Amino acid sequence: MKLDNKKILACCANGAGSSLMMENAIKKVFNRYGIKVAELRHCSVSEGKSAAKNYDIVFCARTFAKNFDDLVKIGKTVIPLKNVMSDKEIEAALQEADLLN
Amino acid sequence: MKDIFKEIVEKKHYRFISGENVSWQEAVRLSAETLVADGSVSPDFYKQIVSCIEKYGPYVVFDYNVAMPHTTENADGAYKSAIGFMVSEKLIDFGCDEDGEKKEANLFFTLSSASSEEHMENIMALSQYFMNEDLLNALKKAKSGEDILAAAAAYPCEEE
Repeated sequence: MKLDNKKILACCANGAGSSLMMENAIKKVFNRYGIKVAELRHCSVSEGKSAAKNYDIVFCARTFAKNFDDLVKIGKTVIPLKNVMSDKEIEAALQEADLLN
Repeated sequence: MKDIFKEIVEKKHYRFISGENVSWQEAVRLSAETLVADGSVSPDFYKQIVSCIEKYGPYVVFDYNVAMPHTTENADGAYKSAIGFMVSEKLIDFGCDEDGEKKEANLFFTLSSASSEEHMENIMALSQYFMNEDLLNALKKAKSGEDILAAAAAYPCEEE
């Protein structure tokens, strides 16, 4: 799997509410596909902005996507979500990015 | 999974408002009042939630008009992990998100998080509830603690 051994970050404003929901939903998708990532954690957008360069993929609510424009420029994958607890949306976004194989 | 509604009803962390002429800031304050009543949070706790939403926008309003007002873990005045449940007859206007989409809520789950473990359990359970449209619709019609428990019993969430 392309995502095996990757490092994944989920960010929201406080790093307490929606990022945790995201992490849980991401976990569901990874379990479904048997993906074994190196790391999956959640944090606040402000922490994420400096930490994100050490991660391969960053998930965030759409509101916060603009905070990660620099990451996209250096070739990282940023996945903005409309519904942070929707494992279906996460699955579809990963499929779109051709990362679920 | 933790039975959040049982806890909400037992601790009287629920209330019902008409929502007439209520701003979202006032709604957040009202939703936290039941948590203030038993010392779960300080009277000013809600102000941190309000400034957070003012700063970042109405991202705490999810699909199906559900709001989860919250701030950081271990925030000042968050003495216990708890959930303030509130139903408003009228939709409360939270303004527009970054795409200009109108955000409104009539179901509130206002979060206080003092311990990571309890907070994690609350978030896990809420994630399930927030995707369960039938449950949310039944909760929006609730007028009493018994109604809340009946809604939760009638529309259980499937665990994965």
